[in-house]
Amino acid sequence: MKMLWKDFYHGPWPYWVGAVVLAFLNIIILYVRQSPWGVTANIEEWAILLGGKVGIVSESQFTLTELMSSSGTYLNLGVVLGALWSTLVASQGRFRPIRQKKFVFSALIGGILMGYGARIAYGCNIGGLLNGIASSSLTGWIFAGAVLLGTYIGTKILIRFLV
Amino acid sequence: MVKSQRKWNIAFSAFMGMLFLTLMQVNLKIALIFVLGTGLGFTLQKSRFCFVSAFRDPMITGITEITRAVILLIGLSILGFGVVYQISEWTHLSLSLNIFPLGFSTIAGGVLFGVGMVLAGGCVSGVLMRIGEGFGMQMVALVGLLIGVLAGKSSLAFWRGTFGEWPGIFIPAFLGWIPTIIFELLLLGGLWKLAYWWQNKHLGE
Amino acid sequence: MVKYQLEIWGEMCPIPLIKAQRKLKTMENGDVLVMETEHSCTSQGIVIWAKKKKYGIEETEVANGIWHLELTKTHA
Repeated sequence: MKMLWKDFYHGPWPYWVGAVVLAFLNIIILYVRQSPWGVTANIEEWAILLGGKVGIVSESQFTLTELMSSSGTYLNLGVVLGALWSTLVASQGRFRPIRQKKFVFSALIGGILMGYGARIAYGCNIGGLLNGIASSSLTGWIFAGAVLLGTYIGTKILIRFLV
Repeated sequence: MVKSQRKWNIAFSAFMGMLFLTLMQVNLKIALIFVLGTGLGFTLQKSRFCFVSAFRDPMITGITEITRAVILLIGLSILGFGVVYQISEWTHLSLSLNIFPLGFSTIAGGVLFGVGMVLAGGCVSGVLMRIGEGFGMQMVALVGLLIGVLAGKSSLAFWRGTFGEWPGIFIPAFLGWIPTIIFELLLLGGLWKLAYWWQNKHLGE
Repeated sequence: MVKYQLEIWGEMCPIPLIKAQRKLKTMENGDVLVMETEHSCTSQGIVIWAKKKKYGIEETEVANGIWHLELTKTHA
């Protein structure tokens, strides 16, 4: 029993345990939220709000109050804080700064490509792939194939420029 | 030496408890969603779950442990979504599933997304999870994400105008729920077998 | 038996794995490869890969969120 408790808070859990727990949470979220777990839609709302403040976006469709009462915000906030909590309970919390310059560019370029791709394909790995397929949408399956192809190209680029 | 971070943990737990209580005062549903989101982040970190790894590792080491875990996650979600869909029909709950439009942009976007997530070291949920873990790199990736999403939004009209777009296809509308679920689970089972075979092939070398 | 240090500090997944694979090819049976990382996923990924490959692997947490890995090349 004590061993089980330590396995729980210290981890790492086997991948399949993670899959089962994530599936359970994913299904509960669909029921509670009446729409599936998604990440990018909310990030877009924040991007529009922040872009409006900086002056990149002209039309500001969202107010801060609206975003603070949107369920997507709390899912994303929950993911960040939950992961932080998870590292703290295992005494593994630390700040992990970028230690090599190449990763600044890699992260920025990767982030831009990912955001652009997710937006024009209507979803990321969660909303488009996992929950697209779970919603039995054909788009989800096609998106999954495209992501696999993209990963192949990305891995080639990574081996060529970053290793 | 590994020093216990119990003090940090207690302080953070208290903060999370207070945040939860505050949210409960505002809106019960939001508070519940926050708890579920926290559970997602906790599980993602504890199980080192990573969608990038699921796609990428088979190409590098041939190990498909995470790939098969993702297939399991998708399979269980299909079953669960089917059940929730049925319940919502009976209880007249309005449910909006992720049936997105289909177009050339789905493929182009998927490929760009795939390249991006390898370079950024995490997909969108992975970036959020790693920000929680304290990675500076993924904080930069989030800035990139915000820029990319805005750029994608403004070029949506171009993709629609140039290549066209069709309404999303909801497979159960053609096959019915039960055959769809059986078909999809068989397909996933086949992919699971393929992934398992792939790993054994690479380990045999 | 020779001990090799592999510099993977601060490297993002999957670069440590690629470097380790390349380094292993140049090593003799019985040699040990020592690595240190602060990426939880990288550490777990290397451990699982090494176990599946049936190499010897020892993972120790040497500080908060830092993992020290010793991989023994047990076969070719």
